[in-house]
Amino acid sequence: MTTPVTSDEFALDVRDLRKEFAGTVAVDGVTLAVPRGEVFGLIGPDGAGKSTLIRMMATVLAPTSGDALVFGHSVRTEAHSVKPRIGYMSQAFSLYRDLTVRENLEFFAELRGVPRKEMAARSARLLEFSGLTEFAKRQAQYLSGGMKQKLALAATLISEPDLLFLDEPTTGVDPVSRREFWRIISGLHRQGITVFVATPYMDEAERCDEIAFMTQGRIILRDTPAGMKRRVPGRVIEVDVSDYRAAMPIVRALPFSTSVEVSGEHLRVLVSGECETCEAEIRSALEGAGLTVSRVRPAATDLEMAFAALIPTAALPDRDDDAVPAVAE
Amino acid sequence: MIRMSWRRVRLLIWKEFLQLKRDRSMLPIIFIMPVLQLIMFGYVIGTDVRDIRTAVVDRDGSVESRLVIDGFTNSGFFKQVAAPATEAEMQTLIDGNKAQVAIIIPEGFSDDVHAKRATQIGIVVDGSDSKTASVASGYAGQVVASLGRQLYPSRLSASAGGVDARVRVLFNPTLRSVNTMVPALLAFILMMSTQMTMSQAIVKERERGTLEQLFVTPIGRAEYLIGKLVPYVIIATIQITLVFTVGTIWFKVPFNGTLLVMGSGLALFALTSLGIGLMVSLLSRTRYQAQQAMTFLMVPSMMLSGFVFPLESMPAVLYPLSYLIPLRYIVVVVRSNFMKGSGFSALWPQFAAMAIFAVVVFGFGLSRFRKQLND
Repeated sequence: MTTPVTSDEFALDVRDLRKEFAGTVAVDGVTLAVPRGEVFGLIGPDGAGKSTLIRMMATVLAPTSGDALVFGHSVRTEAHSVKPRIGYMSQAFSLYRDLTVRENLEFFAELRGVPRKEMAARSARLLEFSGLTEFAKRQAQYLSGGMKQKLALAATLISEPDLLFLDEPTTGVDPVSRREFWRIISGLHRQGITVFVATPYMDEAERCDEIAFMTQGRIILRDTPAGMKRRVPGRVIEVDVSDYRAAMPIVRALPFSTSVEVSGEHLRVLVSGECETCEAEIRSALEGAGLTVSRVRPAATDLEMAFAALIPTAALPDRDDDAVPAVAE
Repeated sequence: MIRMSWRRVRLLIWKEFLQLKRDRSMLPIIFIMPVLQLIMFGYVIGTDVRDIRTAVVDRDGSVESRLVIDGFTNSGFFKQVAAPATEAEMQTLIDGNKAQVAIIIPEGFSDDVHAKRATQIGIVVDGSDSKTASVASGYAGQVVASLGRQLYPSRLSASAGGVDARVRVLFNPTLRSVNTMVPALLAFILMMSTQMTMSQAIVKERERGTLEQLFVTPIGRAEYLIGKLVPYVIIATIQITLVFTVGTIWFKVPFNGTLLVMGSGLALFALTSLGIGLMVSLLSRTRYQAQQAMTFLMVPSMMLSGFVFPLESMPAVLYPLSYLIPLRYIVVVVRSNFMKGSGFSALWPQFAAMAIFAVVVFGFGLSRFRKQLND
């Protein structure tokens, strides 16, 4: 799917990047190119190596081998050219807790060489944009979790980076703040900023232009959210039933069902193939067991379902073909 | 590499001071601690022994024997607490720790003095507290010597008779321990404050993740280090000025040295201290670890530097270790300069040793700083 292009068109061009910590491999040869202006999502379980990968790309951690080019500059040898163009928001809150919102913004603006005359306007705009104007004089440690994250984002944005690394920016943040946070990210996207975001949430992954799934230090799947879903063999049927717990083993036992999960108020069943009689078969199986079925209808595949179906088939590539990572066709 | 930017360095210093200002527990520690330490070391640990409990066995009961007793008690070092009639009674007093020293004036003492014959008085010192004992016997020697001159006025020297005990103490005639304590304290407090604060400084930023955030900015290693060091150097300077002022004004310690020699010695030592703090900060993963490491390092510094205990009284096996303690050198520098006014020509070996320490420690710190985030 990738046609050969010059690295200029990519905000990020990662080549066989590896990181070992005292014998354990955290990132095991990742090759990845992210076009400019994209919101790129990285998902995967805890300990998959997502943070380590991001830290290397953000120049805070030296790779064991391989390289990453950020707008054509190597993070290994030209970190000083990379730093001014990126912003990095680590997983844990990492601004000065004992400085106020405004002091933090001004500190990072000065440090990154924002011209003095632009500073006031920029920080006013960012405070406004992150809803922190009225908290400008509050010390960061007294902000709520969501406000802290917005401050951290504002501090990384103050130098107007072209590429933003966000490492699980909304973990531990309430749903309202999460939505607001993503509204801000969409705004950045419209301004043409490239965003590389690691997230444990599928609904956030859904908002990305492209997503990659990482596990055990490798990226084993990469596609657009729609593409991911299209790859899923079969289709999804949504069932509303009186007792989910009792219904699950019954549906799972049906020969055509490949995966069953509870999502909100529904039971979602992935069935293999087109299976035109499936709806009827599910209904009769459940009613036969004495359960009340209020509705059975075809539904769209979601990412969670897609990963559940795709990950077992996307085996880790052999060590020998390290050079062919990312897309497991 | 990027050119050093003073704008960024100034910014870091401003940030550091702002944080110090916010930390309400830090300010009292910075300004009250040194004064408290000075008072503690000046009064408590001081080796001045006064009012030593003394028993007097006066078998002579004459004008001359009274003169001897007054000679002792008027010195201020001895305080008569009992007048036992016999030596056996005196022994009981010493055994019971009621008296630390006993003076025995034999019968016929006044006759000997009148006849201008050599005579003797007995002085018994309780050796169980070796410090008091050695101080007491020293003082007793001084008192006896001056008595000799009083009782045998015609003699030019006491060599042919009287009591020949003459101790002359150079530079610190009153043997006030505070005179040697205050100069050494300048160095000790400088060490405590720079090492303690510095050892916490970087590990704190690492623990909180702010260090990682700084590494995504164009800030250079040198800029960061200078920005971190300068605030603590300024604070340490204020602290030692405070100790110096209180020491010379309140404790009336005479200053015979030069600010240039003392200042440059302390500056060189501060570099070593900051370097050690930096090293600890870089090697520790948590602030707790750094604190433990500092406490661990503080003990040999106290014990093996000659700051509290004289180097001469150290076991021969441990003595070579004292060369590895930077505090050892600066204590010599400040004490000699403070009391005797010794200059660079006399103190160059100490300066050289401290310069070597500073280079080694900072070299190691810098190389370690390079690797900082790679593990």
